[in-house]
Amino acid sequence: MGTLSAINIMPIKWILHWRPIVGTTVNTQILTEVSQCVESINGVKDGTWKNTLRFYKPILKEQTNALEFSQNYLGISLQEQPNKYYMTIRGQQLIVEAESSMQKIMETLQSYKLRVALNFEGFQYRLGDFRLRVEKVVPVNSENLRGIIMEMEYLPISLWETSHQIMGEFFDIWKEALGKRSLPGHFVHMEPNFAEYGLSDQYTSQHTVVQYDSIITQMVATAISSQRVRD
Amino acid sequence: MECVVQGIIETQHVEALEILLQGLCGVHKQSLRIHELCLKSVPNLGLVASEIRLLCDLEQPEPAWTVRHVGGPMRGAGAEQISVLVRPMQESKISKNALRLFYSLGYKLDHEQLRVGFAFHFQRGAQITVTVSSINKMLKPHAIDDAVPVTPGIQLVEVTAPASSENYNEVVASVSSFCEYLAPLLHLSKPGVSTGVVPTAAAAAASLMSDGGGTK
Repeated sequence: MGTLSAINIMPIKWILHWRPIVGTTVNTQILTEVSQCVESINGVKDGTWKNTLRFYKPILKEQTNALEFSQNYLGISLQEQPNKYYMTIRGQQLIVEAESSMQKIMETLQSYKLRVALNFEGFQYRLGDFRLRVEKVVPVNSENLRGIIMEMEYLPISLWETSHQIMGEFFDIWKEALGKRSLPGHFVHMEPNFAEYGLSDQYTSQHTVVQYDSIITQMVATAISSQRVRD
Repeated sequence: MECVVQGIIETQHVEALEILLQGLCGVHKQSLRIHELCLKSVPNLGLVASEIRLLCDLEQPEPAWTVRHVGGPMRGAGAEQISVLVRPMQESKISKNALRLFYSLGYKLDHEQLRVGFAFHFQRGAQITVTVSSINKMLKPHAIDDAVPVTPGIQLVEVTAPASSENYNEVVASVSSFCEYLAPLLHLSKPGVSTGVVPTAAAAAASLMSDGGGTK
């Protein structure tokens, strides 16, 4: 854990991901319906949004003794922190905060190579003290929809525990509103154990990165296994 | 990228060098205490062997970490002719768990050192930094409190300036002309091309101490 300098306290945020009913996949129709639903509960569109996640894997001269380290890492650029770059190693509950030049340094080392790069992009809505973002997950340079994510921010609070009740209540309202549309799936909230990453109750962008990491790890595992099936 | 030259000076003349630098730069020196860890990739990792440096600035209220990558020096006839080394250099501030990150990524500690001294940062045609420091080695891993000098009685002087592919010629010229002012006390050259201490150092130092010391 550890921040670079001044602690960047951010409003509390839950990141939700769309879990399709077994046998169905995500599609742009669901994305459209979700956006319409935000507008139907008086969400006012006030901007666009884009975060980029890149999966890297080690470049090995020989595959045999790979277990010595064999860590994949995730590099994340967040729109809310344009000058920073985050790296996580999930198996070690490790999150590192660096400047954006870190991405270039890692590329220069030529010890890891890019495996998958995904954009999380979409629109941002304001709804009273809440800010909602509906994001599609697409590979960089492609429009092939891989998933749907929602960010749910409550601006007045930045303490995770304190916010639980109001976030939970708002999530219920949201689920109820969306439920009327009978879409083939639902939004899921996973709560990572931030303490395992050395993060405190005070919400920062590092908490956001850890949430993204949890969600994307599942998503990429699914993508890779489905690709193996196709191959 | 960065432009860099290095030289050495006997510790007994460091005070004179400080007076000279103070006069030339017009700024106050800053204390320097940096724990530097050099990490290398394990043999199986990467297209090429790679090396990375983690610098921990111990002068800050909270130790502040930086990761630095330095590339090979610029080559070619043009590079041979200039007296300053030009090389790619990239830096990023990083959170304090950087060492754990690189261990996890397959890097191992090659060596570490503690640099103690002072630095001047100033603008003189380029953004120049002069550091004067003693290099200390650790007798036990990370034991910075028990570090001992690698070369007792000798300190390392380094002059660096950030540059780009567009402006490095001007930066090289600025660094070179600045180095001439220091010539009576020490000779600065490309890293790895050590030229030792200069014979005029003692006389130049004595002169500086009497002129510039004021109350001395």
